[in-house]
Amino acid sequence: MVHPRWGAVLALAVAFSGTAFSASAQTKSSLTVALAAESTTMDPAKYSAGVDQYYIGTMFEQLVRPGPDGERMNWLAESWEVLEVDGKPVIDVKIRPGVTFHNGDPLTAADFEFAYERLRDPAVSRWPHYQANVAQFEIVDDLHFKLHFTQGDANYVANWLQLWAIPKAYFEEVGEDEFAQRPIGTGPWKFVSRSVKEELVLDRYEAYWNEEHHPTVDRLIVKIIPEDLTRVAAFRTGDVDWIDSVPPAMIEEVEALDNVATASRVSGNNLFFDMDMTPEDSPFRKLEVRQAVAYGADIDAIIEQVLFGQGQRYVQVGPGETAYDPELKPYPYDPAKAMQLLADAGYPNGFETNCYNLITPREPNIKEMGEAFFAYLSAIGIRCNMKNLEYGAWINVNRRAEDTPQMEGGILSHMWGHGVPGDPGTAWSGHLHSFVPGEGWGSYSHTAGHPEMDEMVEAVNTIMDPDEREAALKEIARKKHELVLGGLTTYRPLVTFAWRADKVEYTPWPHPGFWRNFQEIGLKQD
Amino acid sequence: MLGYFARRLLQGFMSIVGASIVIFTITRLTGDPVVLMLPPEAPPDVIDALRIKLGLDLPLWRQYLIFAGDALQGDFGRSYRWEMPALDLVLDRLPATILLSAVALAFSMAVAIPFGVLSAVNRGGWVDRFGKVFAMAGQAMPNFWVGLLLILIFAIHLDWLPAYGAGTPAHVVMPAIALGWYPVAAQTRIVRSAMLDVLDSDYIRMGRSVGTPEFSLVWKYALRNAAIPLITMLGVYFAAMLGGSFVVEVVFAWPGLGRTVVEALFARDFPVVQAGVLFAAAMFVVANLLVDLSYGIVDPRIRHGR
Repeated sequence: MVHPRWGAVLALAVAFSGTAFSASAQTKSSLTVALAAESTTMDPAKYSAGVDQYYIGTMFEQLVRPGPDGERMNWLAESWEVLEVDGKPVIDVKIRPGVTFHNGDPLTAADFEFAYERLRDPAVSRWPHYQANVAQFEIVDDLHFKLHFTQGDANYVANWLQLWAIPKAYFEEVGEDEFAQRPIGTGPWKFVSRSVKEELVLDRYEAYWNEEHHPTVDRLIVKIIPEDLTRVAAFRTGDVDWIDSVPPAMIEEVEALDNVATASRVSGNNLFFDMDMTPEDSPFRKLEVRQAVAYGADIDAIIEQVLFGQGQRYVQVGPGETAYDPELKPYPYDPAKAMQLLADAGYPNGFETNCYNLITPREPNIKEMGEAFFAYLSAIGIRCNMKNLEYGAWINVNRRAEDTPQMEGGILSHMWGHGVPGDPGTAWSGHLHSFVPGEGWGSYSHTAGHPEMDEMVEAVNTIMDPDEREAALKEIARKKHELVLGGLTTYRPLVTFAWRADKVEYTPWPHPGFWRNFQEIGLKQD
Repeated sequence: MLGYFARRLLQGFMSIVGASIVIFTITRLTGDPVVLMLPPEAPPDVIDALRIKLGLDLPLWRQYLIFAGDALQGDFGRSYRWEMPALDLVLDRLPATILLSAVALAFSMAVAIPFGVLSAVNRGGWVDRFGKVFAMAGQAMPNFWVGLLLILIFAIHLDWLPAYGAGTPAHVVMPAIALGWYPVAAQTRIVRSAMLDVLDSDYIRMGRSVGTPEFSLVWKYALRNAAIPLITMLGVYFAAMLGGSFVVEVVFAWPGLGRTVVEALFARDFPVVQAGVLFAAAMFVVANLLVDLSYGIVDPRIRHGR
């Protein structure tokens, strides 16, 4: 007979081994995916960071979205157009009929009006300024509404008509907290449960309106695994079927695994190096010095060697973005010319300056990338007094405000995402337009006043006609490139996903901003 | 004994009040959370509105008094990031960290005590030498590296244990080993040194002379006295594990408090940092109180006030 004490030990051992082996067991109708980061909110009116959109985008939808090829497509909007009424712009939207929320309620214009009211409320939303130019929300009928603007607002169009479908009746029934705990939208996935920092469980919405593009697996379990190596390990052991953000150094290893498929896409972020022109005696006020910086670093080599090729070189705007201009070519790496330009600018022996390097890994290998760039500059005579900054400290020196200390001249590794597929309007308002206290222009800008450029940026923000706007943006891009203003553009990071090719059918769809909302994913059919 | 306990309780409370002032002040030195919460293009009026909503426009002393008053009523404010009560977030994560730390501590003791005792009994022998090397190796390997090594061996190659997450006993094995590995070395040394002292004492020699079996002498009589220095340190080790579990929690995607608080610190989510640190401080105080009380159990002289 087994002693009771040993019996307990035996039972524990059985429990250990049983759970260990059952950990990787999954039902046929579910898939487990692992993401590196986690949303802080499930309420689309409260999102604050890009990562929130990965999660919200599975359950909630907007009027317009990019398709798998990056082209804009009407989504919950059956059609929309920009009109002019009494000299003021109006966006006229007809809603797609037959769309329902996950509780079966039909989608109507009142739901968008409700979303608009929440988005413009600074007590709720982080983006009330995006609704600042909307004078009135007019409901024409259940499936038709108009947005009346006080002035042209190009970013409203560029940012996918802003509004998310939020179920007014359900929200008012359950209240704000309960809505955030148990959200419902019109998206392909409906909420089942969530455990913060562990997982989000979603079920396929059976009555989803889009019969052409939808998931085919019953359940999606989203695991949160922040550590890169652990995420890859979980994929290798079969605990998860799909992983996000394969670290650049491990892509080759993952690709070599049996029955594994990968896809790389641009992440939606745009990286550049800004030069502080604000001090009166800043060397970067001289065009030759800015051009020397542009000629002085081999960005292609940095992408290849430091980022393992996981970066897409871009010049002002990337391929697929609004106003992409293939004729704009990057400054070639030419250290001799860079040194000559420095000499022409009056710095034959170079100069010493502060180099601010963001080290928080908001993008892979960003610290090392900055170090390599600054090392190139040292080789042409721009000697770096290196300052490594965590994100919070980086914001402190980078953000322009009258009541905070600023960076003291120098060069700063910088990023401002144009999104996916991308539009530079908002970013250029923030880091190309010079800083105007109290008005929101140039909130992270280090350009010294350039009135012509400021006027161009201000003007382009009011142009709602897509063709006219694209032409204006292209003109800014050319000038910006020529004058090396608002920073030297470098690359857009690539994000690589991996999945089990023998089990998972997956089409990467971009959501406004990013790629991870699982519009089309399912089990592979034999 | 009761007076001693009350005095220690009061000291503990004062420590927590002190910790609250320090953490409240230090978090605010990190900068303005509002600029991290809003998009970079947010205009000044939107920034100001959020600052007022969060009460960050008030003088620091008023912010502290409001925080302290609310905290005494169990309200630590709402997380800036997660839009939920900070206390809920902390209490939701705390059990996972306590479990991890407790299992890690149990693991480290389960290794350190036999090693320490055997090293002392076989002083200079191969067990002693192996123990020294083992202890040195433990201190030389950072816990994130141990964690990754364990994942490589037991999750990827052997497929015995899950690589990440929580929820079953199997999930806690590797994180606990990774977290408990480091203190094994120090604990082994403490046990070994204490055992050497005790084994040289008169009552052990007396025990031997009257024919008490060596096994009982070592494992029953000597170890009981030698355990006191280790027990003294247990509270410190436990607190160190509570505070130092962040790296292990990240490596194993363990949903614990350490990861939550460190992420909150980087995001300047003051309410979560304050609630998390104060709970960790409270755990530290409680752990040390329990250690003090446990002396009495181990050593009757303390129990009877001799």
